[in-house]
Amino acid sequence: MRRYVVLVAYEPGHWEAASESLRQEYFAAHHAFEEYVDVHGRRISSAPLAGADTATTIRHADGAVTVTDGPFIESVEQVGGYYDVELPDLDSAIAAGRLLPSSYAVEIRPAITIDGYESV
Amino acid sequence: MTVSAGTVLETVVREEWGRLTSLLLAQYRRLDLVEDALGDAVEAAARRWPADGVPDNPSAWLLTTARRRVIDRVRAESMAHRKASLLVTDATHRQQGQTAMADPGGLVEDDLLRLVLMCTHPALAPEAASALALRLVLGVSTLDIARLFLVSEPTVAARITRAKRKIVAAGIPFAVPAADVLPQRLEAVAQTAYLAFTAGYAPGSGSDLLRADLAGEAIRLVRVVMDLCPGEPAPTALLALMLLQHSRRDARVGDDGRLVLLTEQDRRLWRRDEIDEALTLLATPVLAGPVSPLAASYVVQARIAAAHATATSPEETRWDRIVEYYDLLIRLFPSPSARLARAVAVAEASGPDAGLAALDGVEILGSHRVAAVRAELLSRRGDVAAAGTAFDEAIAACRNDTERAHLVERQRALPSVNPP
Repeated sequence: MRRYVVLVAYEPGHWEAASESLRQEYFAAHHAFEEYVDVHGRRISSAPLAGADTATTIRHADGAVTVTDGPFIESVEQVGGYYDVELPDLDSAIAAGRLLPSSYAVEIRPAITIDGYESV
Repeated sequence: MTVSAGTVLETVVREEWGRLTSLLLAQYRRLDLVEDALGDAVEAAARRWPADGVPDNPSAWLLTTARRRVIDRVRAESMAHRKASLLVTDATHRQQGQTAMADPGGLVEDDLLRLVLMCTHPALAPEAASALALRLVLGVSTLDIARLFLVSEPTVAARITRAKRKIVAAGIPFAVPAADVLPQRLEAVAQTAYLAFTAGYAPGSGSDLLRADLAGEAIRLVRVVMDLCPGEPAPTALLALMLLQHSRRDARVGDDGRLVLLTEQDRRLWRRDEIDEALTLLATPVLAGPVSPLAASYVVQARIAAAHATATSPEETRWDRIVEYYDLLIRLFPSPSARLARAVAVAEASGPDAGLAALDGVEILGSHRVAAVRAELLSRRGDVAAAGTAFDEAIAACRNDTERAHLVERQRALPSVNPP
């Protein structure tokens, strides 16, 4: 089994503007994703994220910390949520990711372990 | 008759490389080791076979030798406590892999298919997938791959290394996907092969003849897929298309090294056997039914090439049919280059005025081709001044020396403009 973080992105305001029936379709798509993962692997965690306009970014520059409004990458699509899952391989991660709503862009990133690091 | 050890080795490498690679991957799942191990085995064979004689089963000899290299490396690593980066394989395959070792034969082809699909996975960058497939499935050297794609050898080596790293890191499996996904994945194989093929025919520096030869390796890749999965529309149509284009390779470069236009080629130099094979493929029932847009686009392009291949002289060419095929192609995949080619066909079928009308609004950014065709058609219509201007535009935009020389020559051949 391999661990993947599945990031989903969609255009801001898309969810707010969605009709009740469209929202039900989205729920069904997420359920299909979750069921696929449960059958083929394991769900570790997941969360929908509040809009990018609520994001705060911290950066260190020249020894000073700056805190600014907004996400670290400005783009049309914004990360709107994630799934942390375990699946056998990339093909199964792609098969699961395809089940998510078609208006999403879905990025699959393998999670790694850092040699020598143990969390407390 | 005795065949030299070198010839035997060359043949075994050419025919068995992919199968041996896939067997080693199935057994050890070490993408980082198998290519070098097999390369070492081939080197050892080159040293020992001429002296010791060619073994009874040359490919088994290579496999055994390569296995030893892999085992040596794995042992050395475990001494150093290094963690191995293993390929993902499906659970059923791991069991199959063990039986395959005990009884090599039936499952081997499945391993080769796994290798082809892994190398051409859509999660890899197309040019990296192309290089990887040529290297691992066909054993084409990185130097030859570099020549084919007109890049440096280190660039190819880096692409291959990056692709291998992504396969392992992202968990691209060494496995045959579910039946509902397989046709789509075979289309990705076809696209990968066609990318390599067109690279071989792209105008560029270096020996164009040699590169056309290397384009033939892409045909070999499609043949491998056709053997493994017969009756799939995309590879079938693509093989027909590539054979038809490739059949003209001996006629497309003149004695002076210049490219010869299709209509001016010596048709006796076209390879009839390849044309015949392509025509047979185009007539197979696989392509008669509804096929995917990609397969359909290969079929249409192959039919265009076939219309040229079956015309005994340029005058016999059924340009009216070719125009219809281009209409179909544009409906499937609208592109400015398809519209440009259609305009050329329209001009041949219905004269320069119709051709110029078809050219209206066609633009290809950074290319001289639209201007070059417009110049040619204007000159045919006798519009010398406008043709001269269009040639100027084409010559200014052309970045290929051979083609520019051709354009300059055409412009000089224009009759001088009569004073008003």
